Amino acid sequence: MRYGLYLGCNMPAIRPDVERAMRLALPILGIELVDLEGYACCPAFGTFPSADEIASLAISSWNLSIAEEKGVDVVVQCGSCYSSLRMARAKLLKDEEKRERVNELLGIAGKKFEGKPCTRHLIDVLYNEVGTEKISQVIKKNLKGLKAVVQYPCHTRFPSEVLGFDNPGRPRMLKEIVEALGAEVQHYSRELQCCGGSGGFARQAYQDAVKFTKKKYDAMKNETQPDMIVVNCITCLMYMDKIQKDLSKEGEEFSIPVFDYAQILALCMGFDPKEVASISVIPRDKIIEKITGAMS
Amino acid sequence: MIDLTKANHHLWKEIMEEDAGDIRRCFNCGTCVSGCPAAEAETPLMIRRLVRMVLLGLEEKLLEDGTPWMCVTCTACEEMCPMGVKPFEVGLAIRRWQTRKDETYIPLSTTEVFQTGHTQPVEKVGELRRSLGLPEIPPTIAKFTELLKKFQAMLRETEIVKNNDYMFKE
Ligand code: SF4
Ligand code: SF4
Repeated sequence: MRYGLYLGCNMPAIRPDVERAMRLALPILGIELVDLEGYACCPAFGTFPSADEIASLAISSWNLSIAEEKGVDVVVQCGSCYSSLRMARAKLLKDEEKRERVNELLGIAGKKFEGKPCTRHLIDVLYNEVGTEKISQVIKKNLKGLKAVVQYPCHTRFPSEVLGFDNPGRPRMLKEIVEALGAEVQHYSRELQCCGGSGGFARQAYQDAVKFTKKKYDAMKNETQPDMIVVNCITCLMYMDKIQKDLSKEGEEFSIPVFDYAQILALCMGFDPKEVASISVIPRDKIIEKITGAMS
Repeated sequence: MIDLTKANHHLWKEIMEEDAGDIRRCFNCGTCVSGCPAAEAETPLMIRRLVRMVLLGLEEKLLEDGTPWMCVTCTACEEMCPMGVKPFEVGLAIRRWQTRKDETYIPLSTTEVFQTGHTQPVEKVGELRRSLGLPEIPPTIAKFTELLKKFQAMLRETEIVKNNDYMFKE
């Protein structure tokens, strides 16, 4: 299995410990990662897609053309990178006029888009290509005794016609790969509520966004007893971690550690937490100690 | 009162692109609002309302409306709309129309992506990256100056950059 590793902008700049976790853990599962040298922003929906569609498609196809040159499909963790790259390819394959215009633009840079490489989300690759059995087999430590809740990235669910791989209304793949590490995954009524961190909502109306997310965390707290939240999207990771400080204000405390899947996977494989899980707002030490101390 | 004599009846043709589905099929059911995170804001994002504004041709009102920029891009609405409208794409199409009409709508992040290739300073966190065992600069466009130049040359030929070139600096 060879994939072009598309990191996006946030991960290598703000949460590079997740990048490190992916680079260390995925090869152990038989996933060979190829760097997509020279890739740019996907582009994020708030940038060129909000200003000029052709420019936006040109940037996406710039990225896809790099994978095309290398003859690989793309693997991505960030939900919005996944959605942006996936939707761009679907649009270009459907619309010859746009494809021609984009190829004229790419030609200026000596590149070409043919649309061969497919973009896959990490959950999809882990569940459907690697499989839960293999994950359980290779780990050296496990999450037994730990309770988790999971956050499905919206951008991997909708529109399912273009980018779905799980059941959009009742996803289960992230839960199952977390269970493959030994944790108990608990459900709650607002499990599928968007984290709220992407796009303009939190930027333009932060207090309203906090209220929205508080409903989710209240339900989580009342209905489950999670030791941790497991996500697999860089925005979910940063937002669900950071926002707990602002949720905690009125006397109530929220401090549930948030991990990216690649991080707990790497920890279960025995990699150094200082490299694979060192950046967070809510302290994660206790969980990390539990994992690194536990023998499977 | 809305004065429809001043409405621009061609507005929907100016704004809507094929990818957004046919908004004339929208029957105002509100499904796109009921599951929308940004509809919970005090000044809510309501795609169904925006669709009405486009269809009625309320150009001035729409140009002033900042709610399309609140979308969190979750795309749930696109999954749910029973009429094959793509509310998420409608929102993006309105944003693009607004940026064409009024350059102050152009997101600054587009100029950052033009200038550096990214929305985040991936080349400026070398020490942190090194401490984790990673190369100081990730293998992105930030590492390859010649590629960034080509990237910018490509974008120079797009409408948004051509029409607002003073904003896009190398
Ligand atoms: S869900 Fe579709 S039909 Fe219903 S209001 Fe929204 S855009 Fe219109
Ligand atoms: S994509 Fe935007 S408009 Fe649609 S439900 Fe999500 S936040 Fe609302």
